[in-house]
Amino acid sequence: MTADAGLPAQAPAARGDAHRAGSAAQVLTARDAGLVACTGCGRVYRATQARCRRCGARLSSRDETSLQRVWAWWLAGLIAYIPANLYPMLKTTTMGHELSSTIVGGVIELIDYQSYSVAVIVFTASVVIPICKFIAIAFLAYSVQFRRGRGRGGLARQHLYEMVEFIGRWSMIDVFVVAILSSLVQFQFVASIHPGIAAVSFALSVAFTMLSAQSFDSRLIWDADEAEDT
Amino acid sequence: MTDPSTPGIGAAEMQVQAPKRSPWRNVSIVWLIPVLALAVSLAVAWRTFSERGILIRIDFENAAGVTAGETAVRYRDVAIGVVEKVGFSSDLARVVVSARIDKTVAPFLDDSAQFWVVQPKVTAEGVSGLSTVLSGVYIEGTWDKTPGAPQDQFKGLEEQPLVDPNEKGTRVTLRAGDGQAITGGSPVFYRGVRVGRTETPRLDASGAVVLVEAFIEAPHDRLLTTATRFWNASGFSVSLGAGGLKLDVGSLAALISGGVAFNTFFTGGQPVKTGQVYDLYDDETVARENAFSRVSSNTITVGTVFVGGVSGLTTGSALFYKGVKIGEVGAISAFVTGEDRQMEVHQLVSLDIDPKLLGLQASATLPDVLEFLEAAVASGVRARLTKANLLSGSLIVEFAEVEDAKPAELEPDAKPYPLVPSVESDLQDVNATLEGVMKRVNALKIEDLIQQAISTLATVESFASNKELREVPKSVVELLDKTRDLVASEDIQALPGDLRQTVEELRDTIAQIRQDGVVARLVSVLESADVAMANISLASQEVPALVEDVRAVAAKARDLPLQDLVDSATGLLQSADALIDTDAARALPASLNASLDEMRILLSELREGGAVANTNAALASARSATESLERATANLPQLTARLDQLVARAEGLVAAYGDRSDFNAETLSMLREVRAAARSITALTRSIERSPNSLLFGK
Repeated sequence: MTADAGLPAQAPAARGDAHRAGSAAQVLTARDAGLVACTGCGRVYRATQARCRRCGARLSSRDETSLQRVWAWWLAGLIAYIPANLYPMLKTTTMGHELSSTIVGGVIELIDYQSYSVAVIVFTASVVIPICKFIAIAFLAYSVQFRRGRGRGGLARQHLYEMVEFIGRWSMIDVFVVAILSSLVQFQFVASIHPGIAAVSFALSVAFTMLSAQSFDSRLIWDADEAEDT
Repeated sequence: MTDPSTPGIGAAEMQVQAPKRSPWRNVSIVWLIPVLALAVSLAVAWRTFSERGILIRIDFENAAGVTAGETAVRYRDVAIGVVEKVGFSSDLARVVVSARIDKTVAPFLDDSAQFWVVQPKVTAEGVSGLSTVLSGVYIEGTWDKTPGAPQDQFKGLEEQPLVDPNEKGTRVTLRAGDGQAITGGSPVFYRGVRVGRTETPRLDASGAVVLVEAFIEAPHDRLLTTATRFWNASGFSVSLGAGGLKLDVGSLAALISGGVAFNTFFTGGQPVKTGQVYDLYDDETVARENAFSRVSSNTITVGTVFVGGVSGLTTGSALFYKGVKIGEVGAISAFVTGEDRQMEVHQLVSLDIDPKLLGLQASATLPDVLEFLEAAVASGVRARLTKANLLSGSLIVEFAEVEDAKPAELEPDAKPYPLVPSVESDLQDVNATLEGVMKRVNALKIEDLIQQAISTLATVESFASNKELREVPKSVVELLDKTRDLVASEDIQALPGDLRQTVEELRDTIAQIRQDGVVARLVSVLESADVAMANISLASQEVPALVEDVRAVAAKARDLPLQDLVDSATGLLQSADALIDTDAARALPASLNASLDEMRILLSELREGGAVANTNAALASARSATESLERATANLPQLTARLDQLVARAEGLVAAYGDRSDFNAETLSMLREVRAAARSITALTRSIERSPNSLLFGK
């Protein structure tokens, strides 16, 4: 997904060097060369080209609204994450007892029942990963926006970004469990499980953070890197 | 790429964008998403907050099973809140339950609100709260349907209130003499159908009256009028009357938890409102007797004057005319006429008459009634005291048609009431006697009666278990044996033979003298006589020994504790007779009612136990006493018969001896004594046989 990938002929060695050295100092970017790559199919055009002739995608050397969208989705995700933690995730009705538990409450309950492994899984999937994602995305966007990255952090940030994108979908595991439980455990009076408000807002939060990560134009990482170098 | 400073002057082909871009142009539309999310979140938060109920505090004595965060607060079985916290009051005396209650019901939580913890409960009337076995306890609340000044502090009840504020019906107060037969939640019956329930009896401020709140459910509460009478329908009642023994048993629930019944015996009552006070009568009969409409809207008051005592006449005593109750006694006051020497006490009795019962219009006025009475008086009607009935000591007033009554007139203008002329009751003496009897009956304490019976039984028992008594039959048998031995002794048996022989010989001798001449035969006669005399003297020598024997027997018989026996028997008989002959015993049927009432009280004390065991023990000992007595006396008649036989024989024998011998007289008197003793024993036996039975029957 890097902008350089679209570069057909020029300085393959330099590219290799850049990777090896962990620095983009000597790399000639497409933008510098007056070129723009289609993010859809990878075809390279002159910078004046507005649309990809092959796939019809809009071409832009850098997505100028990227950071805005990142921040917007990030904020939406964060907002959705608050009720996800405050409201009950599951409403369990057993023998007339209605028990509603929030995410953290559920984790504590699991610990009470000494199901430590499950508690760790739930805690990781529902608390640690989302929070780490928020921090990671915020860090990436912040570092790009204010060009405060470390000189040689470009590659690390690229890895971080890839990881965030990869792991995002797995955060849905929580919502998935709730959905399965509430469709399977329906025994009327004896036991039944219903999703709470938190399940919806948690799903939204995950979706928003995924969109936020997707909105991030990773090419900006390298721009920031270069800007720092110059 | 653009030159904003020189628009339209040069490089026209470069002018591709507006010279001044609005800062908003760069704002991505995606920003709408967080704004929207924020809006939604805030909306949800606001809704949650606005729907968040109010927090109330309920104090409970104890809150078994109430769990913070789980226990629901329900109203009409719908959850309206949940317990948030369970804590203690500052002095740890009470449990304070904090619950968040739905906002919609908050305005109704005024001072009418009541809360209690619903737990499974098994009572005589059924099982309730069974669902809480599975779901755990919950707090149920109830309140009326009108919003009042909201409160947030409530005092929890120990258990469900008997009357839900929402339940339609009428709450009345019953006044009773004692609250023994009524417990909280006792049913209220109307013609055997359960139509309400009572609360726990409480004492009024003075402690003289027991007040019971009763709740009659709608629509049955419209059966209540001012003419309604309530009575105690608890358990069962036994009454002995002209119709025989009557046993009334209510429902089983009423037997255990007591109950109250009501009925309206006559028409004309006014509808009642909540808070109406009724008297609670002891039973239906009494309630029926009190059915005169004291509440009758229109009563006419007249008066009459009686000379002498009116003891037994009370306010509320009935007024009868031709056997129909037409009113009742209102007030009794006494006044004195005459000088010191001839002072007379007169009783002014006011009589409240219901014209309707007199056959007049319900709205009849005093003149109408007076007109009616005037005609009646002219035809000989006079006010007269009479007995309410034979058994009770109470008096009633009747307007009786008295033949050859002294002319008298109604005094319509007398003050304070128009006066109806009265006559001295012709039953006065009988009444007085009866009254006296009844007074004594009234004065009789059934406990004393029972006490007497018990003590009599105890006497019988101690008498029966008396060792001497047990030994009587044995001693008498011994005596008999000795007597028989005596009678059968050869000496006695031989006596008549010898005597006869002598007589024969004498006759022969005389015959021979007649035949043969006197002198010649005289010698031989004398010889024979000598022989006979010798024989007789031989026999006579034996006689003192015999007499000695008999004397010993007599002494023995005298020594027997017969006198004691007879004394005790007499004493017993006297006490038994006293018991049987007392007015108390004769009045037993009447007293039985009282006794049965006491029994009922006794039965109600049965829960505490012991009484039955004691009674059983007492009865058992009485029975065993009677049995041992019967065993002991079973042989007595036989013994008596034998004694009689013996005496007859002895008399026959002794008669042969002649009239004047000492032996004869002594033996006879001895034997008569024995027979008298035997007869007394027989009499005793019969009395004893009779009296324990009557005692037992009496009890």
